[in-house]
Amino acid sequence: MKANTYNYKRVYVWELPVRIFHWTTVISMAVLITTGFVIADPPAINSSSEAFNSYWFGTVRLFHFSAAFILIANLLFRIYWAFAGNRFANWRNFIPYTKKGIQNILYVLKVDIFLQKDKKHKLSDISIGHNYLAAFSYTIMTLFFVIQVITGLGLYADNSSWWLPKMFHFVVPLLGGDIKVRYIHHIFTWLFLVFILIHVYLVLYHDYVEARGEVSAMVSGFKFVRAERIKETEEEIIEKTEKQMWNGDTEDE
Amino acid sequence: MKNSVKKEETYYESIIKQGYTRREFIKFATYMTAFMGLKFSAVGQIMEALETKKRIPVIWEHFQECTGCSESFIRSDHPLVADLIFDHISLDYTDTLMAAAGHNAEEAKQASMKENYGKYILVVEGAIPTKNNGVYCTIAGRTAVDIIKESAEGAAAIITFGSCSSYGGVQAASPNPTGSVPVDKIIKNKPIIKVPGCPPISEVMTAIVLHYATFETLPELDSQGRPKQFYGKRVHDSCYRRPYFDAGLFVESFDSEEAKKGYCLYKMGCRGPVTYNSCGTTGWNNGVSFPVKSGYPCIGCSENNFWDNSPFYKRLENIPGTSIEATADKIGKIILGTAAAGAAAHTIATNVLKKKELKENECMGEINENRIKE
Amino acid sequence: MANRIVIDPITRIEGHLRIEAEIKDGKVVKAYSSSTMVRGMEKIVEGRDPRDVWAFVQRTCGVCTTVHAIASIRAVEDALGIVIPPNAEIARNLLTIAHAMQDHVVHFYHLHALDWVDVTAVLKADPKATSELAQSISKWHNSSPGYFSDVKNRIKKFVESGQLGIFANGYWGHAAMKLPPEVNLLAVAHYLEALEWQKEIVKVHTILGGKNPHPHFLVGGMASPINIDDAGGLNTERLAYVGDLLKNAHKFINEVYVPDLLAIASFYKDWGAIGGNKFNNYLSFGDLPTDNIRNPESFKWPQGIILNGDLTKIHPVDLTKTDEIQEFINKSWYNYTEGKNKGLHPWEGETNINYTGPEPPYEYLDVNKEYSFLKTPRWQGKPMEVGPLSRMLTGYVSGIPEYKEVIDFALKKLDVPVSALLSTLGRTAARGLESKLLADWGLEFYDKLITNIKNGDTRMASTEKFSPNTWPKEAKGVGYMEAPRGGLAHWIVIKDQKTANYQMVVPTTWNASPRDPKGQMSAYESALIGTPIADPKNPVEILRTIHSFDPCLACAVH
Ligand code: HEM
Ligand code: HEM
Ligand code: NFV
Ligand code: SF4
Ligand code: SF4
Ligand code: F3S
Ligand SMILES: [Mg+2]
Repeated sequence: MKANTYNYKRVYVWELPVRIFHWTTVISMAVLITTGFVIADPPAINSSSEAFNSYWFGTVRLFHFSAAFILIANLLFRIYWAFAGNRFANWRNFIPYTKKGIQNILYVLKVDIFLQKDKKHKLSDISIGHNYLAAFSYTIMTLFFVIQVITGLGLYADNSSWWLPKMFHFVVPLLGGDIKVRYIHHIFTWLFLVFILIHVYLVLYHDYVEARGEVSAMVSGFKFVRAERIKETEEEIIEKTEKQMWNGDTEDE
Repeated sequence: MKNSVKKEETYYESIIKQGYTRREFIKFATYMTAFMGLKFSAVGQIMEALETKKRIPVIWEHFQECTGCSESFIRSDHPLVADLIFDHISLDYTDTLMAAAGHNAEEAKQASMKENYGKYILVVEGAIPTKNNGVYCTIAGRTAVDIIKESAEGAAAIITFGSCSSYGGVQAASPNPTGSVPVDKIIKNKPIIKVPGCPPISEVMTAIVLHYATFETLPELDSQGRPKQFYGKRVHDSCYRRPYFDAGLFVESFDSEEAKKGYCLYKMGCRGPVTYNSCGTTGWNNGVSFPVKSGYPCIGCSENNFWDNSPFYKRLENIPGTSIEATADKIGKIILGTAAAGAAAHTIATNVLKKKELKENECMGEINENRIKE
Repeated sequence: MANRIVIDPITRIEGHLRIEAEIKDGKVVKAYSSSTMVRGMEKIVEGRDPRDVWAFVQRTCGVCTTVHAIASIRAVEDALGIVIPPNAEIARNLLTIAHAMQDHVVHFYHLHALDWVDVTAVLKADPKATSELAQSISKWHNSSPGYFSDVKNRIKKFVESGQLGIFANGYWGHAAMKLPPEVNLLAVAHYLEALEWQKEIVKVHTILGGKNPHPHFLVGGMASPINIDDAGGLNTERLAYVGDLLKNAHKFINEVYVPDLLAIASFYKDWGAIGGNKFNNYLSFGDLPTDNIRNPESFKWPQGIILNGDLTKIHPVDLTKTDEIQEFINKSWYNYTEGKNKGLHPWEGETNINYTGPEPPYEYLDVNKEYSFLKTPRWQGKPMEVGPLSRMLTGYVSGIPEYKEVIDFALKKLDVPVSALLSTLGRTAARGLESKLLADWGLEFYDKLITNIKNGDTRMASTEKFSPNTWPKEAKGVGYMEAPRGGLAHWIVIKDQKTANYQMVVPTTWNASPRDPKGQMSAYESALIGTPIADPKNPVEILRTIHSFDPCLACAVH
């Protein structure tokens, strides 16, 4: 069996703020989805206690709204970090506007999703940060986030005396009434669930197939990159990889 | 006896003539002030308005309607509808109540519209069919489309009473066989006060007419053209069952123990959380009750297109064009299940198709492990 | 068409009715009744959850609000075999009764009276004489000279203001107006009082159904639960409120409506020979079960048919037999798949709108072709009149004592023969006499409800079959009731938990429809033939006969 063995080097990909962002997202989403579904179809826990002694459904809603505001703040922060953070966090990653980007998407689709043979084994096809498809999926998910936030704030506007939700007063009439808005909000919850399932699966999958420490990267910040690509410093690797990413690939393995 | 205005008589003159005292007049003005939610200092303003104006002419058109809005209107308790139509406004045309019929009725309308050009209020009840050139509603041989254009022309403002004239109503529900539309789809150049509800609450209806009759200004409207004072809150936000909602105490079946205790009707499909109306505050028929108070889930009768937000006994509507049980949840579960199955299949396929690559990796792992040992 | 007159809009009714009539020698010789508005309700409910349909079809009419809702839930209950608890049956009866009383009173004072009462003649009335008259016919408290003088002054000032509002251009001073000034004043005073009263009695609906117009309903019973110990349901306060409203209604009807009716009628006895339909068939589905709706024997309003004016025999009616009730469209703006001349039983009914009338604006309809949005219902091919008159006759012919009592009382008071019932006057009188019975029954049913609760039965709904999962794949049912304007029935076909076909045959459809394939006229057209017209430019006589049916065209076409 002729098999190559590679040396891998640690690369600092996910800065702490990105990691904090990620896990805050995970936690608030978990709360939002669970409480959201409870709001949509509350279980009947018809205790014999007096209504004024109990507030559990109100509490569920309170959790939903609190998690919602955490999520909103978190998203705003991530948008800021898309400009302030490192190259892997940069907003450019998320919009496949270069030829290279689109090719990368096709590559990932072909090799990872449809499981075809990777004939050429171009090194640059393996991304250091997000692969382009994943990045693009986060863009779409960001859109989902925006929709949930807008519809959520629209629904919340009339309960609130705070200017932020009140600014979203226009949403309900625009979308044709509260019932429609709730409906959209509800449907997007399902879309989120589907996204999360696929996302987590693909992350685990990459970890399994490529063995580059994908999962732990979201905890530690480090991924592992082939040593050939490291000349002097990690800084240079990053620079070079970035060049590859923007300018297309010239160098082969 | 023809309809002729001999001289401009003020509202004050007219009611004094009708045997009211000055004191009663002040009482009425004070009452109006309170009812419109104005500060006490506005009493003087209202009195002045009433003292200097003649009764405001009102033309009430009836199109594709069930006349439930007219019926609601005549139930008004404060003001009493008799006081309203005899003392406060001059209801110069309405199919439902006017003495004259046929050409006599049409002539009375034409006379009033001519004489009061630019000054009368046009009330519209019912939707307007547009399919087939509007033949699905004709009066005296003319289509509703034709008639509304004519009567809107000289109107100072239009009040659309009910969900039919405000939003299209029941006849516009799918499949809208006659192509019904609300007034604002046809008349674009006049202020329109939308008073949705199927029907709207009687006191809300008369209050809006009075508001205009006394101030000659439109009541403050929200972004959708509804008077804020009555459509600013959701039924849910003023529902007396709200503590049960917050406590998570729900009715799950009609006439159950929970229903008898007056628990929240959310799970029975109540549209209170998505419906703007003053049922919980003003209440129906002089505040006696409202649907939720009597045990019935709200069906959202003041919301645009509420008819197609059915079935009513479920919280979420069906996905359009699907069968009765095809709710978003069912479809969501199917998609999620499909995605999970896809992931599982993908895992298996990976292990089959990428066996070689995986084996290599594993192999290298072992080699490296051995090297470390060496 | 020189002698063809057109009355459009017919006002003081519900909906869009147009009458074209030909007049010869001061009498109507031909009449055509048409409705010029359609919405397609039967199409709109197709495909919907049968439990929701009541809300849609209820909006067929806001004047007879409740009646379509009740017919609809009964149709669904019939299809699914749901038997509702006795209290729910009583509650529905109370809703029907409260509504019928309100509707009849509004019809009499606000829709019909201005055909007979001259508002401007009030100015000539002597309040003192009016007071004496009022006290001679009733013990109603508002009857002092001062009271009538106030009303007179109010009208005087109103007329003098020059803004006549709803009274502008009325038939004042018309040759057909026969009341002495004092009766006019009495009627106008009660016009105002009735307007106040009618908003009270509907509170029965507000309590049991949440609002009026258009109270809410429930397939399986009523959703307003009984809980005499909690504010969450119908408790003592709510029930007492209902009881009080019914008592006040009883008083108003007995002390105001019925005395006024008889007083006015006594000046128009000639109308006891005008305006009867010429076929003399009367149909009632019956309603107000004292047991339950599946047991017509227990109805306060009995079921049956009177044929050819034979006041000795009641014929049975079966709403499920496909050869009994059928609807025709030969003169209507619809199509049937099997052609224009076939009659269809409602379970096989179709609603395919197909307008073929003149292009608006138009002056006359082409009555040789289709001329109305109403279909034409027939019972075994025969035209039927429905309404309070049919019900009173059915009760009378069935020999039920309370019917005999009120009818004989009125006939005696007016000194007219039984045949005077089959007329414009009879129709209007029947409505008032029926209200008298309704007022009694309201109290009876109320007592029954209280007794049931006392005995521990607080059930209001039967919910075992509320969930669509419990339904058969296919089912059909018919729900009927007596609406103020007559027998009303809805037919439903349910397939796969959805409404597959829905057909409504409505009181005013029976009465106001165009001719059938045999050329037989329905009640409106038939009743108008022979009506004397003093002034073709102001044909108030046509209004009298048409209004005596209390037309509702939104109902009729739907
Ligand atoms: C992205 C994550 C979110 C998810 C998955 C989510 C999910 C849900 C779900 C499933 C419901 C129930 C809808 C129904 O009635 O069927 C709901 C309700 C609601 N959500 Fe969210 N939501 C999210 C974000 C937000 C945000 C950002 C807000 C903003 C404040 C918000 C505010 C609300 C409000 C106001 C309701 C209605 C609660 C009520 O009226 O009782 N949600 N959410
Ligand atoms: C509620 C569930 C989750 C949501 C909404 C979510 C969302 C996201 C988002 C938005 C990103 C892009 C991060 C950025 O660039 O700022 C991301 C990346 C990532 N997530 Fe998640 N995530 C979820 C759950 C998880 C879980 C459970 C894991 C670990 C098993 C995980 C592992 C990762 C990894 C490794 C990346 C980087 C992937 C890459 O290299 O492209 N995520 N996730
Ligand atoms: N015709 C009719 Fe109705 C009644 N009564 C109902 O079924 O009026 Ni609106
Ligand atoms: S809004 Fe409702 S109550 Fe008013 S006319 Fe339309 S259907 Fe009738
Ligand atoms: S009954 Fe309806 S409106 Fe009232 S609290 Fe419950 S959901 Fe809200
Ligand atoms: S159904 Fe309508 S009447 Fe009020 S409670 Fe709901 S808005
Ligand atoms: Mg029909």
